[in-house]
Amino acid sequence: MATGEQRIESFGHVSRTVGTVFRYLLLAATLFGIVALTILLIYVANDAIQPLTADPGWHLTFFLTLVSPTLLVGGYLLRTDPASFRFGASVVGMLAVSTMFAGGAAMIFVDIVPPVVWFSYVLALALALVGVVGIERLDRQVPFLARFAAAGAVVLLAFGVVPDFVQSLPVYPTDGVMLTLALGGPMALVVGRYAAAEAGRRGSALAVLVGVVAVGTGAVLGPLLEIGAVPATVLLSIAVVPTAGYAVGAVRRRSARRSGLALTGTILGGALVGALTVDALGFAGPQSWVDWGFLTNAHSGTAANAGLYPAIGGSILLMVTVAVLSFPLGVGAAVYLEEYAPDNRFTRFIDVNISNLAGVPSVVYGLLGLGVFVTYLGQPTGTVLIGGATLALLILPIVIISAREALRSVPDSMRQASYGMGATRWQTIKNVVLPRAFPGILTGTILALGRAIGETAPLIMIGAPNVLFSLPTELSSKVSAMPLQVYAWASLFASEPFYQAAVPAGVVVLLIVLLSMNSVAIVLRNKYQNQQ
Amino acid sequence: MTDSQEYAAGESTDDPTTDDMAIETDVSDSVASSGATMRANTVVRAENVDVWYNDDQALQDISLEIPENQVTAMIGPSGCGKSTFLRCINRMNDLIDAARVEGDLYLRGKNVYDDDVDPVALRRRVGMVFQSPNPFPKSIYDNVAYGLKIQNKEGDYDDIVEQSLKRAALWDEVKDQLDQSGLDLSGGQQQRLCIARAIAPDPEVILMDEPASALDPVATSQIEDLIAELAEEYTVVIVTHNMQQAARISNKTAVFLTGGELVEFDDTEKIFENPESQRVEDYITGKFG
Repeated sequence: MATGEQRIESFGHVSRTVGTVFRYLLLAATLFGIVALTILLIYVANDAIQPLTADPGWHLTFFLTLVSPTLLVGGYLLRTDPASFRFGASVVGMLAVSTMFAGGAAMIFVDIVPPVVWFSYVLALALALVGVVGIERLDRQVPFLARFAAAGAVVLLAFGVVPDFVQSLPVYPTDGVMLTLALGGPMALVVGRYAAAEAGRRGSALAVLVGVVAVGTGAVLGPLLEIGAVPATVLLSIAVVPTAGYAVGAVRRRSARRSGLALTGTILGGALVGALTVDALGFAGPQSWVDWGFLTNAHSGTAANAGLYPAIGGSILLMVTVAVLSFPLGVGAAVYLEEYAPDNRFTRFIDVNISNLAGVPSVVYGLLGLGVFVTYLGQPTGTVLIGGATLALLILPIVIISAREALRSVPDSMRQASYGMGATRWQTIKNVVLPRAFPGILTGTILALGRAIGETAPLIMIGAPNVLFSLPTELSSKVSAMPLQVYAWASLFASEPFYQAAVPAGVVVLLIVLLSMNSVAIVLRNKYQNQQ
Repeated sequence: MTDSQEYAAGESTDDPTTDDMAIETDVSDSVASSGATMRANTVVRAENVDVWYNDDQALQDISLEIPENQVTAMIGPSGCGKSTFLRCINRMNDLIDAARVEGDLYLRGKNVYDDDVDPVALRRRVGMVFQSPNPFPKSIYDNVAYGLKIQNKEGDYDDIVEQSLKRAALWDEVKDQLDQSGLDLSGGQQQRLCIARAIAPDPEVILMDEPASALDPVATSQIEDLIAELAEEYTVVIVTHNMQQAARISNKTAVFLTGGELVEFDDTEKIFENPESQRVEDYITGKFG
């Protein structure tokens, strides 16, 4: 068989020394950045929360009730059923993040927008929607412009008359009832819509009913538990009902994931039992600077009494303004450039300049805002409106770029299919391109908002006050923001307790808000990628 | 010009095509003429169509007639321009900036490249099914009803959706899950969904651009059966580079060869058993292409 087979001793070796060195250099570079960031964050968090000042008994109690059961249950689930583990963890995460958003929303309803105003506008919106849908269904033969004009008239009428009428009523329902209807109701509808896909029409109606009843219960129980009707309803509508709806829906769809709820239960139950035990045994917790007082007080001359409340409210208002201004402008520009604009020198020139504008330092945008809004248009300095407008300009290029990216990721075969059916360009964009690109557009916008929330320089340039003692209540009131307040503590009030404790505490709050916003963007993106 | 007449459908040379052209026949005229010649009506008629992508010529002087309620197959090697020709019929080439079309292409006697033709209105009369299944990321129902909605058609959408899915041989598989996303279906089901979507607005012609090339043999044979049934009601033009497929399902076959020329167009049997051109015979017997 093997006649004449030649034998060789070995195949030799090829040197990999350079490659190995390169690989470990890259690893070192990666680790350096991550380790440095981690140390920095731990350092700041330690200053802000000061965990070592707590009684050893406090640590022991929480270790026994919260940490070790969580590790046990989590470890067991992770080994036996990772999908359930992820589900349980995501329920906890969703509850935490949505509770934080509920806190922000409660702040708005307590101090800025009275529930009756909100209620009247939601009512107007509902009536306008009913009117517009009614006109659409009425008759397809009526020319488009007439229907469009009628719809516009209905919307204007609803918003022109209803809010004023409701607010002028001599008697209106309690805040709890109004928020239950106007905030809990829409939230329950969203949950019901989610349930409709999972459990059909009856399940959907049941979900809406349960949601509204739950929020209504909160409106009744809130005052009794000394939380107040408004925060209780907001918390239930924004955090508890959606999370519960998600959990129930996911368990119904894949009942195997039910065991993941054990993790959720362990964490929530452990925290509750731990808190009760610590309270009963009289162990003192850490003397954290990030506490209820810090979140609800305004600035004070003494660091111990200083708080972030007006700055948090200001940041929320700025975010809302920025989102309202930059989203339609940015998405509109992106849709035009991506779907309509011809490929010529002019559009390429715009392309390059948008990319450049995304890299322009924020202080330059501050100067632009000062020049245009204050000097040229004669607006008062430092208001919510011009702060929001300046920050909107700052993130506009980022919104445009990310929205274009999302539009570009819609497969061309979808557009072809739509055109092949005889759709016009507008019908294709409205029915196929935008729905498909929307999650990506939303993700990009949220990440861009994350950049705006951390900006200090433009706000200083437009003359926002460093220190504000009450929440801004209108678009024309002066606004402060979290990073600006932190900056003021670090520079103007540079006494030791301020920059050793209040500044880290402010940074931690800012980072938590930022991370929770980004987590929403990441969840959206993952969901989007799974769909493809 | 003389070449093209030689290659173009032999039957059409002695037709009074020039007269048809002059009076721009509508449907009733062609019915009358078909009675006389005992042949199906012509639905699509191409005359000397050239297509250019920038400076590259993709189609050279194509002339052919596509008969009503029959399956017309276009075969040929990759890059021979058969898909380009298909996209000329509903002016999908308009969407490509670089493409330029010259010559005349008539749908029911109306030149689709006339200045007064709205390509969107044209595409509403011509359904199209693409190479890879491309349902919209919407529910099955909304996919089928898409054409009805955008064209603002009258009628009972539930009923039309059901009929379209039945004609696409998909109804029994999806009737309980019309609310589910069209993307959750298998590849073959997705392609039948695309066919249901194309026929729902009741077009006059259905163009299929290699509709089975991304599918497995079972799904392919389902699609082929479906095409044969569709030909009872619709005029089907199908591009394929699977010659057996063309032989199985088509009544007429057009052979395009490299360089974008139409080498031969005739009844499918004739093309496969006794082609006029040596090049076509070489291609069909596998000596070339």
